[in-house]
Amino acid sequence: MDKMANKVARIPNLVDWSTGEVRLMSAKCNSCGTYFFPKEHYQHRPGCTREGVEDVLLAKKGKLASYTVQYYPCPAPFKTEQKITPYGIGLVEFEDEKIQVTGIITNTDLKTLKLGMEMETTILEMYTNEEKQQVVTWAFQAV
Amino acid sequence: MRDVYIIGTGIHPWTGFSEKVFADFAAVAVDGALKDANIEWKKIQAIMAGIFIYGGNAGHLSGQYLESIFGETGIPVVNVYNACATGSASIRMAYNSIAAGETDTALAFGADVSPKGFLTAKSDNAVQDRDVIRWKMGGLPNPIYWALECRKRMAKYGTTEEDLALVKVLMSEYGSKNPHARFKKTYSLEEVLKSAYVCDPLRLYEICPVSTGAAAVIVTADKDLISKADKAVKINATTMGSAIYGDPTIRISALSCPAVAEAPMLSESYSASQQAYKKSGIGPEDIDVLELPDNSSWHYLVYLETCGFCKEGEADKMLRDGMTKIGGKLPVNPSGGFSSHGEALSAQALWQVIECANQLRGRCGERQVQGAKVAMAQTYGLMGNSGTTIMTI
Repeated sequence: MDKMANKVARIPNLVDWSTGEVRLMSAKCNSCGTYFFPKEHYQHRPGCTREGVEDVLLAKKGKLASYTVQYYPCPAPFKTEQKITPYGIGLVEFEDEKIQVTGIITNTDLKTLKLGMEMETTILEMYTNEEKQQVVTWAFQAV
Repeated sequence: MRDVYIIGTGIHPWTGFSEKVFADFAAVAVDGALKDANIEWKKIQAIMAGIFIYGGNAGHLSGQYLESIFGETGIPVVNVYNACATGSASIRMAYNSIAAGETDTALAFGADVSPKGFLTAKSDNAVQDRDVIRWKMGGLPNPIYWALECRKRMAKYGTTEEDLALVKVLMSEYGSKNPHARFKKTYSLEEVLKSAYVCDPLRLYEICPVSTGAAAVIVTADKDLISKADKAVKINATTMGSAIYGDPTIRISALSCPAVAEAPMLSESYSASQQAYKKSGIGPEDIDVLELPDNSSWHYLVYLETCGFCKEGEADKMLRDGMTKIGGKLPVNPSGGFSSHGEALSAQALWQVIECANQLRGRCGERQVQGAKVAMAQTYGLMGNSGTTIMTI
């Protein structure tokens, strides 16, 4: 996945492309079955022993459970080189993991957004850092 | 446990940004509460202070700061933060201290001078503070969370854009009659529907901004003070709730939520209100006037359901049928709500309690709910904070 070379996530441990696919980095509790995103943000079922939490990647694809179009620029510390406003925000449901995750919608005509449509995880280039790396965030796009 | 009464309330009217320090606003509110209660400062035996998170050391120790202004007397001063439900925490502590017999008379207060623009991340540690992630990578100002839930609601229950606009029409009508409100202009349905989308389906006039304000409440079990008060208001219950595992709401600052609901939406408020109903023996059917947290028009609708005033998906009908108007079966937010005030974090829950107390004391003029005997103030704050106060006269 050469096109992912020289890219770096603005904050680590959220989005992974080492397998050749862009996937969200989650953690699963093998005691209560809950998936977490971000993976450090534990939300165990009450009474859970909290044993056996392991890092996992969420599925590549999910379904659009909700969305909005934001018409005003997101204030700092959010930062992009290109103007992205208005931008879509999706809440994408990963069915097997029983979790919905928010993300900016990219590469998608916002007029075509529909609840239930299939979305896949990707990245959005935000800006170039001092090391000339492309700083990215996770995002979703229509399949 | 002893019965606890509100005998004095004070407000600094809600405004925009200010160069004044928060304690100036607090002092206005506390002076008002002392005067209303007709008592001297020395009668206050405890201070339960909502903290002002942007105020540095003074803000984090706002109770001590306030005490020094009025005169230090050595009483217990506790500072508390529960996000936008901070005021609920302060009055609950005051109530508990008095009900348990620790003190006879206590002051609960909150004052907040909101910084200009959006409230953003307060740390730079993304591992322990997911707020950093939502601002740096998520592109997620608060109203987006409400818009995501609102769209789900529209698809599930058929809430319309007219319903969302109608909430603002009502709130602006009531806010225009409230001297404490920041926004006093009235809007027609057409005007609201013509206002720009902030994050669709929510428009500019359908979300509330941040504001500056202060509120103070004096509570007591002192029979002498109660008898001298101008219509003391009994607190039947004042509770706080946190979220329940499996709540499907996408909560502000979160980046994910459960896909399968195992708990009610806004479960922190379900928890707080259910506790209050149980503790007071008063149910939703008994409430004459309700103040709920209308951070957006979506909140106005969903809160009626979360707190049990109707079944899920029925709030729109209550609104359309005029049941939530002043003069309707359940008058909601005769104050004009957050829509007419904006959020002043540590003060807003107390301001809601004060509006309820004023309604029960018959002090609300043009926005008075006639014959109100039972009132409920419901608020909530981010990351699973909520408070409910039920009052009677």
